Amino acid sequence: MTADRRASWFKGVLDLLVLASLTDGESYGYDIAKQLGAAGFGQIKGGTLYPVLNRLEEAGLVVAEFRATAKGPGRRYYSLTAAGREVLAEQGELWLAFDGSVRAVLAKAGVR
Amino acid sequence: MNSVETADTAAGYLDDLGARLRELGLPAEHVRVTVADLAAHLAECGGVAEEEFGPVEEFARELAPEGAGRADPPGPDGDSRVEVWRWTADTFVDEELLGRFGDEGWEMRRVDALGRFVCHRDLDRPQRWEYRRELVSRGREGLDERLAPEGWEACGDWVVYAWFKRPRAASLGPAAELSTVPSVPSRWNFFSRRFYALLGLLAAALAASGVTVALRDGDATSGLGYVAGLLAGAAVPVAGFLAWRRWRSRRP
Repeated sequence: MTADRRASWFKGVLDLLVLASLTDGESYGYDIAKQLGAAGFGQIKGGTLYPVLNRLEEAGLVVAEFRATAKGPGRRYYSLTAAGREVLAEQGELWLAFDGSVRAVLAKAGVR
Repeated sequence: MNSVETADTAAGYLDDLGARLRELGLPAEHVRVTVADLAAHLAECGGVAEEEFGPVEEFARELAPEGAGRADPPGPDGDSRVEVWRWTADTFVDEELLGRFGDEGWEMRRVDALGRFVCHRDLDRPQRWEYRRELVSRGREGLDERLAPEGWEACGDWVVYAWFKRPRAASLGPAAELSTVPSVPSRWNFFSRRFYALLGLLAAALAASGVTVALRDGDATSGLGYVAGLLAGAAVPVAGFLAWRRWRSRRP
């Protein structure tokens, strides 16, 4: 039950987390998964991450550039667009307001 | 599992994924870089492809752009879990296919601007649906009212056709509910051989008329101009008809 609930919270906010992880510059899929894993979200499977990256790219919030590497098959590097930054600021604010409301209600119920 | 076995399995998975993405209509170059990127991901994380990305058919649909045969995640309408599938077919086979997919629980909601059937399926209580198509080239006055008493409800129209749906529950009762449903088809276009043959015939006729004119005038550009004129001439009445239909449909 707890794991299910965490999974659905995570699903609802993953696109924002991906956008946030690109604010310091470009990155690639596995590196984003590692960053988010290190931030406490656990192991993020490629099957969850790449469809989100694709949707963000389709929506014009990130752009991807494929670069071949000397060793290995090459990677797609993602970077944030101006529209992506705007959506991150706007949706991030909404998420924080939502988080604030949840905290307030839980605090009133004695959950701290 | 040894490393050779793992590499073979990963290669098989990625090959299969590439083939499915191409089937879903993604351009070859996009498929190539996507597969390369995922291969790099696997190499770095050292995981097993299916465990990392999930079942290949589902992952391919998730990676495909909106509308390319993908079942969207459950919608926000109410508590029921709904999957959405958009697909298209030519008029030689659409009725047969609608019957088949209706029996698999797909309910057509509308025909979108690209002429695709937008179908929903209730994952919690999938129901069987039946369909009928009507020619409405001369308008549809009274058609909806005539069909309504038999339980038919309009669900989409395109150029000269209107489609109607009816839940099989109307005739079968609770037996119309499906206990299991097949997965979402990976294809999204179902054009028949007759359609391609017709297209080929039209293209051949157009090319032949262009060549005839070019040979008669001894000038290739004359033939090309003739073909362009024919296409433009055909587009005018089609555009006029579509504008007339739009005007009629907007009339109160």
